[in-house]
Amino acid sequence: MSVVDHNALELSPRISEADVADYIALLKPRVMSLVVFTALVGLVIAPVHVHPVMAFTSLLCIAVGAGAAGALNMWYESDIDAKMSRTANRPIPRGRVAPQEALAFGMTLAFFSVMTLGILVNWIAGALLAFTIFFYVVIYTMVLKRRTAQNIVIGGAAGALPPVVGWAAATGSLSVEPLLLFLIIFFWTPPHFWALALFRSDDYARAGVPMLPVVAGPDATRLQILLYSIVLAAVAVAPWPLGYFDAVYGVTSLLLGAAMLAFAINVYRLRQGREASRATRRLFAFSIFYLFALFATLLIEVVARAVASSIW
Amino acid sequence: MATTMDDKREPDGIVLTEAQKKSRRERSIAIALALGVLVVLFFAVTMVKGPAVLMRPM
Repeated sequence: MSVVDHNALELSPRISEADVADYIALLKPRVMSLVVFTALVGLVIAPVHVHPVMAFTSLLCIAVGAGAAGALNMWYESDIDAKMSRTANRPIPRGRVAPQEALAFGMTLAFFSVMTLGILVNWIAGALLAFTIFFYVVIYTMVLKRRTAQNIVIGGAAGALPPVVGWAAATGSLSVEPLLLFLIIFFWTPPHFWALALFRSDDYARAGVPMLPVVAGPDATRLQILLYSIVLAAVAVAPWPLGYFDAVYGVTSLLLGAAMLAFAINVYRLRQGREASRATRRLFAFSIFYLFALFATLLIEVVARAVASSIW
Repeated sequence: MATTMDDKREPDGIVLTEAQKKSRRERSIAIALALGVLVVLFFAVTMVKGPAVLMRPM
């Protein structure tokens, strides 16, 4: 007879030592901050007055929904997170949070964020938030990420939706302006993530994730980065001549687009050694600044206009 | 046999370590705060929207 009761061992519950910081890490706070910022811009450029309480409620729900998507992503990807140096310190691979705890946490937050946004604000925004979470978790994480090099191109739609949700929260409808913001983030995503993938390609290869540099090689990726950067610069300027955003935005967008292209050209030209690595990292860092500066310009314009109208 | 109030027996089942107790307490406080925020949020929005809170556009 065995001394150890294996049945009892299998049935004994795992006692969690996860603290609040581990659960906050599951929410991907840095991604969440960009989501909240772009949603804020979608909300404030809407041509309606939004009560501050309603704006706060909308942004809180969008933030929690984004966090839920992050937690569900970490639940599903814990096996590949453990193999990548960039993600090995996440709460699940470190053993701080059990996968089923992350799943329960993510599902709970997803349910409450969508229902609260729907009930308190409007159901178009609630439905869009639900679709965003679904697209990120199911379409991107479960279907695309491990199957195709186009994972972040198609999956980028999830990251591009927050300003649309913000606009819908403010107006209860959709319009061209938030779709333009959607397109900007959509075309920004490939050069941003492929720049990251270029200097993390070993990580992705080890984890078996078919990112473009792993599947098609670094040179093909550099060309794709350049092409997407050209499209991005054009799409980002387009709202100005089309009459949706004004000249301040237009000129800022032109300058930022030119800088983005210069960084992308550098990545395309410099292919060997430390210079190539530095060019890729610079493009990655600048791409974050690019999106932030572009959306901040829209935000500052709205604030400046509101201040000016209250003075005059 | 009846037990008394000052029964010094070790509790049966799982005994949490200090670290586990601390993290459980932290999580419980966080959940309580989150529920509190939810209550305040629903109250504030009800005040802002007034009686029309249930008549929102689709």
